[in-house]
Amino acid sequence: MPSLKDLKIRIDSVKSTRKITKAMQMVAAAKLRKAQEAAERGRPYAEKMRDIVSNLASSVKNIAGDNKFLGDGSDCKKFLLIVATAERGLCGGFNSSIVKLAKSRIAELTSQNKEVKILTIGKKGREQLNREFEKLFIGHVDLSNEKNITIDTARKISMDIISRFEDGEYEVAEIFYNKFASVISQIPSSYKLLPVSLIEKEPDASNVSFNFEPDEDEILNEIIPKSIATSIFSVLQENAASEQGSRMAAMDNATRNAGEMIDKLTIDFNRSRQAAITNELIEIISGAEAL
Amino acid sequence: MTNKFELSIISAESKVFEGKVENILVPGMVGDFLVLSNHAPCISSIRPGFLEFSEGTSDKQRYFVSGGIIEIINNVVSVLVDSAVAGDKIAKEDITNLISEVNDRLSAEDTINKDDLGLRKNDLEEALKQA
Repeated sequence: MPSLKDLKIRIDSVKSTRKITKAMQMVAAAKLRKAQEAAERGRPYAEKMRDIVSNLASSVKNIAGDNKFLGDGSDCKKFLLIVATAERGLCGGFNSSIVKLAKSRIAELTSQNKEVKILTIGKKGREQLNREFEKLFIGHVDLSNEKNITIDTARKISMDIISRFEDGEYEVAEIFYNKFASVISQIPSSYKLLPVSLIEKEPDASNVSFNFEPDEDEILNEIIPKSIATSIFSVLQENAASEQGSRMAAMDNATRNAGEMIDKLTIDFNRSRQAAITNELIEIISGAEAL
Repeated sequence: MTNKFELSIISAESKVFEGKVENILVPGMVGDFLVLSNHAPCISSIRPGFLEFSEGTSDKQRYFVSGGIIEIINNVVSVLVDSAVAGDKIAKEDITNLISEVNDRLSAEDTINKDDLGLRKNDLEEALKQA
């Protein structure tokens, strides 16, 4: 049985833990709102970009085979997995769920005798993957100095990825991140960045023939790097929002657990104090009777 | 009375402009061109430079754009730009900074992109003269 003093110290320490987790939860909530707003603002650009690419797709069918960025990625041997995680922990299962998804994909690819390479964005993913797959690493992007994600960061990452693609370091690039479904639910997801597969539009969609200036191929070469940068940008933004949402939920849980613990410890504390008082009374009474 | 059409200028981080305009002067990759209403569907890339348009009533508005893509379809014009700054806000230093950035990359990169970067530098210097 811990002494009264020990219990008092423990209650105080759990109380200060609760204060910290509560503060972290509120900070995460504020940051979540900001991250969501930023993602909202970036959406029109990303949507329009997709529109233009799909408009291009319906017009360039005939030359699709020639452009280096296009293809369906089937029967390729070299894969690059881009794993986007957070820079910080204490956000529930956020980082490990992405890493888990990436690991299962690595296992799947290696069993098919494919060559796998890994590029991580964010410290936590690198730490977890480094233990098992150190040899597969070809790069890491550090975001710890970026307070808010800017398009420039995304552009730098995409330039790096594209130049590796052009050098033939890999043939297919897939990116792993947490999709922001709602404040309380984030879904680890992945999708193929490169090569770009052109999905043909529904035949009933307005079939306009575009004029291209300069020509289709040059526009493709210009727009595809841009659209990759945009994809990475929206992935990072979505990841940032998911991270804060996940942290908020985790900290909410921690605050509640700390509260329960305090209640339990307070009951223990009161019982011990009562027991000590009863003990003293018994001693006094039996002392008086002995006289 | 001239016909108006929809114009939206969108950068990756926010919507820069949205509204009905009478005409736009676009710094296209192969040359400047003017867009009026009922323009044929067209997709073109944009070089760094000044984009001018008028809403009809007021004077011309000018935006400095640092490259992008324009899509014209059914009287809806969307301009996707890397970055856009209103013409009266842009300082010459901003453009000079962009030029020095390009210069840095010119000296750092291999020969592959040198032609592109050189062109970009010319465009920026041209824009600096107009600013």
